[in-house]
Amino acid sequence: MILKYLFAKNEAIPVGSSAIFFGFSAIVWFMIGTGLGSFNAAKLAFPDFVTGTEMFAFGHMRQVHVLAVIFGWISMAFAMAMMYITPILGNTRLWSEKLGLWNCMMWNVCLLAGLSLMWMGVTSGREYSDFPWPLDLAVAVFISIPLAINVWMTIINRRTQGIYTTNWFFAASTFMLIIVFLVGNLPEYFHLTGLTEAYMTWWFAHNVLGLWITPVAAAIAYYVIPKVTGNPLYSHRIGHLHFWSIVVFYSTPAAHHLMSAPLPEWLKSFASVEGVLILVPAIAFVSNILLTMQGKWNMFVENLEVRFTVVGVLLAIPLNMQGGFQQTRSINWYIHGTGWMVAHAHLALLGFSTFLEAAAVYLGLQTLMKRKLYSLTLGNLHFWLLLIGFSTYWVSMTIAGLIQGAGKIYEVPYIDVVIAEHPYMIARWLGGTMVFSSTILWLYNMWMTAREGTPIPAGRMPHELAYER
Amino acid sequence: MTWVFDAPLHTLTHAETVAKNKALWEAEDLGGMTEDNNRLPVPVVVLVLLTVITAFLTTIPLWGQRPTAAIYVDYIKVMDTPEIVAIQGAQGDAAAMKRIVELNKNSAFESQQGRHPVTMDDLRILKPQIEELMKIPNIDLRDYTVVGPEVKIANFEGNYRENGKRVRQQPFWDKGYTIDVFYLTMFFVGVTITMKRLPENTWQPRHHGH
Repeated sequence: MILKYLFAKNEAIPVGSSAIFFGFSAIVWFMIGTGLGSFNAAKLAFPDFVTGTEMFAFGHMRQVHVLAVIFGWISMAFAMAMMYITPILGNTRLWSEKLGLWNCMMWNVCLLAGLSLMWMGVTSGREYSDFPWPLDLAVAVFISIPLAINVWMTIINRRTQGIYTTNWFFAASTFMLIIVFLVGNLPEYFHLTGLTEAYMTWWFAHNVLGLWITPVAAAIAYYVIPKVTGNPLYSHRIGHLHFWSIVVFYSTPAAHHLMSAPLPEWLKSFASVEGVLILVPAIAFVSNILLTMQGKWNMFVENLEVRFTVVGVLLAIPLNMQGGFQQTRSINWYIHGTGWMVAHAHLALLGFSTFLEAAAVYLGLQTLMKRKLYSLTLGNLHFWLLLIGFSTYWVSMTIAGLIQGAGKIYEVPYIDVVIAEHPYMIARWLGGTMVFSSTILWLYNMWMTAREGTPIPAGRMPHELAYER
Repeated sequence: MTWVFDAPLHTLTHAETVAKNKALWEAEDLGGMTEDNNRLPVPVVVLVLLTVITAFLTTIPLWGQRPTAAIYVDYIKVMDTPEIVAIQGAQGDAAAMKRIVELNKNSAFESQQGRHPVTMDDLRILKPQIEELMKIPNIDLRDYTVVGPEVKIANFEGNYRENGKRVRQQPFWDKGYTIDVFYLTMFFVGVTITMKRLPENTWQPRHHGH
């Protein structure tokens, strides 16, 4: 259906086509990514599970899971949100639905190619930027640059004088992603090695989180909460504090990922202070959104999109408390290289950002397809399975990380640590599998919404009809 | 020129521009979205300031630093004196160690000695190693850390000294912190200017006539 529009004239393509394409692609990649995550967790919980085949070895599968989730699920859900929200906030149409469709098409192709190569062992071996360099260039040319062009041109061609907070974040993040991607992969283009490569790798990895995932996820909350509750955003000023503190404090602490490396100590000192200052945008963001909820807290219980968003916002509190302090010299010494970090990464990607993206995809797909959610019960089941599954994963891995940290410091034999953390590996697998199961339900629910969802009358929002038959 | 500087803590924007901005704020429909003009709540301001203070206090490399050989030199100097030997013979190692600590109460390293207490057995192991190092001319024992039973050159690499050797002492303040202060200053100045360009927070927009 979508494919037939790839060669149609832009004017002939229905509004929202590219957002819908991105939305469903994101959910499918989320299912693949969490499925791989569940498979990998099973290998850690049950060491005899699927052995003897190189392609299914943990070392091959782990980074396929990581990149499927970051560049498949999270980034495509972001693209969906941008294709949907950016034009609305400018009272205009998306600059080019056709570019959006091709962008999504090429995104899927590049990701499929990259992940397949990685699965076969063709990888640069650099965390979060594991694709070989020709694919890195393809990602820049076919994914991040076209996305930025579409978002920027839509904002430039807006029919408003002002620009709403969400679009500041969208515009800045799409621009920064290009810079981060091209600069972060320099070690691969020019074969930089050693400490330079290590620093560049973590500069890239940190900024993918700090200048892409965190601000875009926050931008979604800035849209969903005022839109669905009908409340004005509490404070335009706090929005400024949030935006500029992200720019200043989140772009600089890359060296805090390498606190034990022989980097200049002053660079670590600088990065470590900036690392704690990440709490400044977090304070601004959380306070602004929660204060916007004033008088509408009933919707936290009643409305699916608000519930997803507020949970994501609340998870930003532990996320940034952990992120701010775990990188200081004294705490990093204990938890570096342990499961604590795995738990923290999942708190960021599966907790904070996934809940916000899910809200955007739920709201966007229903609005653009003009169809009410097929089953609110399935939607609620999705929410609870995701929340309980994520919480199980996070808590179990945090405990496992503390055990590993103690084992590291007190020089406990490695095998004893492995035995001690085994129950938590099983809990991790259970939690991850719940998340995977919830995603299958979600895909089914959205697919059925597209096919059989009750049409939404013109001028109404999906959440207004959620409890109407 | 839309800037005014006669009352910078009040506003930085010309009254006409403020009026224009207010009208736009109330009239413009950004896809059905509206924004209020509330000030930064006091708890938010307090939390931000607390974060800045905490950022410096928790990252200064004072915490978790290993003990240097220098902090035990005074202990070693007195451990074989007749007074200590007598206490040791009459009351044992613990009492002798307690007296050594008392004798060094006013040491320049008192706080570090307090954070890294040792026993007489530890001192017996460290003594020959530290004495051996003290034979080296112009040595700075703060360049050496005590790692368990061994005294090792510290793994921190600072600037070069005139004799070509590196400083091996981690300072509690380095240029990283100075850059942080610069960053913070620029940030707060920038954000304050941005906010002072907005209409005053005593004014709230009426959205869609409400």
